[in-house]
Amino acid sequence: MKRALNLVLVMTFLVPSTFAQKFRADDPVWVDNDAAVDVKTIAKHKLNDHYDFLLHTFKKPGDRTLIPAMNANTLGEVPDSSWFQNRHARTRMTIEDLVRGPNTGAGPSMNDQWTVIAAKTEGITPGFRIRDSRGHVYFIKFDPPQNPEMATAAEVISTKFFHALGYNVPENYLAFFTRGQLRVDGKAMMTDDTGRERRLTESDLDGILKRVHRSDEGLYRAVASKQVHGAPLGPFQYYGTRSDDPNDIFPHEHRRELRGLRVISSWLNHDDSRAINTLDVLAGDPGRRFVRHYLIDFGSTLGSGSVSAQKPRAGWEYMWEPETALKRIATLGLWDKKWIRVDYPNHSAVGRFESQSFEPQNWKPEYPNPAFLNATDEDSYWAAKMVMSFTNDEIRAIVKEGQYSDPQAEKYVADTLIERRDKIGRYWFDRTSSFDNFTFADGELRFDHLASQFDFSRRPDPCGEWFIFDPVSGTRRPYAEEEIPAAGMFSQVDITSAEGKVSVYLRHSDRGAAIVGIER
Amino acid sequence: MLALMFTMLLVPAQDPSVEITRSEELQAAREDKAQHLQAPTRTSLEKALVDFKEKRVMERFQAGFLGFHPMVGGMKTGSGFALGTSREITKGLSASAQVSFKGYQKYEIVYKPGFLNDRFFAEVRSTYRNHPQESFYGVGNNTQSEDLASYRLEDQTVAGQFGVRLGKHTKVGTQAGWIKTRIGDGTSSRLPSVGETFGPETLTAISDEPTYLRSGAFLDIDYRDEPGNPREGGRYAASWSTFKDRGFGRYDFNQYDVEVQQYIPFFHHRRVIALRAKTTLTQAADNHAVPFYMLPTLGGSEDLRGYADFRFRDRNMVVFNAEYRWEAFSGLDVALFADAGQVAPRAQDLRVRDMKTSAGFGFRFNTAKNVIYRVDVGFSRDGARVSMKFSHVF
Repeated sequence: MKRALNLVLVMTFLVPSTFAQKFRADDPVWVDNDAAVDVKTIAKHKLNDHYDFLLHTFKKPGDRTLIPAMNANTLGEVPDSSWFQNRHARTRMTIEDLVRGPNTGAGPSMNDQWTVIAAKTEGITPGFRIRDSRGHVYFIKFDPPQNPEMATAAEVISTKFFHALGYNVPENYLAFFTRGQLRVDGKAMMTDDTGRERRLTESDLDGILKRVHRSDEGLYRAVASKQVHGAPLGPFQYYGTRSDDPNDIFPHEHRRELRGLRVISSWLNHDDSRAINTLDVLAGDPGRRFVRHYLIDFGSTLGSGSVSAQKPRAGWEYMWEPETALKRIATLGLWDKKWIRVDYPNHSAVGRFESQSFEPQNWKPEYPNPAFLNATDEDSYWAAKMVMSFTNDEIRAIVKEGQYSDPQAEKYVADTLIERRDKIGRYWFDRTSSFDNFTFADGELRFDHLASQFDFSRRPDPCGEWFIFDPVSGTRRPYAEEEIPAAGMFSQVDITSAEGKVSVYLRHSDRGAAIVGIER
Repeated sequence: MLALMFTMLLVPAQDPSVEITRSEELQAAREDKAQHLQAPTRTSLEKALVDFKEKRVMERFQAGFLGFHPMVGGMKTGSGFALGTSREITKGLSASAQVSFKGYQKYEIVYKPGFLNDRFFAEVRSTYRNHPQESFYGVGNNTQSEDLASYRLEDQTVAGQFGVRLGKHTKVGTQAGWIKTRIGDGTSSRLPSVGETFGPETLTAISDEPTYLRSGAFLDIDYRDEPGNPREGGRYAASWSTFKDRGFGRYDFNQYDVEVQQYIPFFHHRRVIALRAKTTLTQAADNHAVPFYMLPTLGGSEDLRGYADFRFRDRNMVVFNAEYRWEAFSGLDVALFADAGQVAPRAQDLRVRDMKTSAGFGFRFNTAKNVIYRVDVGFSRDGARVSMKFSHVF
């Protein structure tokens, strides 16, 4: 990576101003305390995934007005909240922190047998719930038999990326165990194929394990997903707000971290980024309860489709696109989208994941997502910066946590993520001016040009103009000769180039000037 | 909520001494919302779908009531829409009953011993069938559609099968059984009965109604990826059966069935060329004949789709099918197909130039593993035919 190029614009301080409504005293806000109001009563909500598909495919829930994200601070960043915590992109994490991710321990204790307390035998993805000797509860999820390592590696790798990016995610551990590690709790219940609830037996457990891959050494490989703290309330939606959560005031389709999630999902090929794979939990202590919002279930990321290799359509096309379907029918299948000719590696542990044909701007989840559809270039730019915050070494270190038995698989996944990362940066940094990392000191405004810093493009010549900004009226005027802004005044710097314009706002105080706003 | 947020952002400038901070503003909005909380609501459709899943309606429907499992469709071609039920009496022993809207009936008891390991398979089956409106156009490759008549076919069968799996894809086995047949007038009010249109020289064994002892063997090599909706692989099956007439000594014959299916996928299995060749040959001993209702047939939704069900029948039959299938979207495949087939009194009379042909298109609503509903429109010299089935053609 090229060394950061710092540009310098020198200014002369002049003239005073009044206070600002555009910028409040506490701008830029880096913490949105959305745990402030105690949640006294809140309903547990169940979502039907078929209904969710129908709703988002045939209707347009949420507000589709093209407006800037409502929860971004005046710098265009996302404040810390119950949804999001600024991590790697704001304050660099060490490799150790990155690979640890959200994990607080080493996974379920192997000191004693695990007690199976519930099981899921129906459907194509078997799994069960265990309690370890420490009393911690984990969901045990497996790879599809024909793709050993694929889904479990994808889940663990993506969990660590989403965590480093700032999202709340469960602690997901890779676990290796024998049949002897498990014993069924006497009170454990299960729902059988006929929909009836009954006691879970050891032979039911044998039946589940018969359907999953076992190594030659007799070991089962699984993801042990630790139950998150708090009472589960069901998924959150990518639109609207929870009507019974007082702290939820920004419509979800207008939250920057959810809009920008489209770019991040495109990187990790998280085509299953929909409400069913989210979880709200009631956290906190009595009298200070609040809702924390999680992303869960990353089994359908990278090349994994959870129960099989990812579908070749994934990331390219919604499940239902009438125009596409009609074109295929009318042309007898001679016409099709680009994905139909994409080559994927022939590696069962990787599944279908590649970078050559990847087009960040055209990537789609399984069906329309209101927050993704509302994403503006600013939202995508913010997300692209997050993606670009991972170095090659950091990506390789996280991918190693997937514990692929074949080093070629590990290398392929890391290389693919690196190439997809660069495609994302190249595309989204080109959509808007990528002058960024502004600092102000000693009368100088310094900044980088991200696109050229990553060798995506040549740095355009910037031209800076300084103004006195009146945040009450929103007007500006050129600096007068010898004018020095007094404390409480604001300056506006317009940096124009062939890429467009970035406006930077500074608040002057007795201690100097601080950047309070950035507009692209 | 949206309006509230805009209002907040558009608050006019205030005196700096009373200006509230961004955090205070958000806190105020939250406290205001806390005064107006509402329980989440659901649409009736969402409620219904949640209940459907929560109460596991589908699983319970499939599981049946008091051990009775519902059966939809699955009766013989030409029977019309059928409903029925099955019940497991004891482990390995089950019984079923099906009736169609055209009055077809089928009652069956099946025993599959549980003591065999995965390598071996066996079953004993006792079946009663009553097919009151079977179509008959005469015998031969040049029958006329206007000669259509109907008859009733009743049969009782007790048959057993035993086999061994030689590998993941191959099984061989042997079968034996007893068959009692009975023929009567068709119940269709629109059609004459076969006796009114055809003579006894055509309606072989119509009055004798022989009872058979059947024995035979089979070989089945199946490496299709998903037998219910194949996109790759192939299936090669052959069987031999001998039918010994126990009552009259005039209707002994051998039957040979061979079927080859091959699936050639491309473009990530979203395009498939599906090919099938299938033949049934019968061979009667000197002075013996094959009853007309046991002759191999051709025509209908399973083979020659531009023609009616059982449009042609004779001692020997061959059919070739080719389909080009492409995915319109996940859940629907479209197909173009061409069929060619023939029946003939002797195997050596089966010739390409004498084949009946049909072509058409079809829609297959599917999952990855099964075709749920199939609509095929076939065109032939007899005209156009639409067939709708709850299963794949091959």
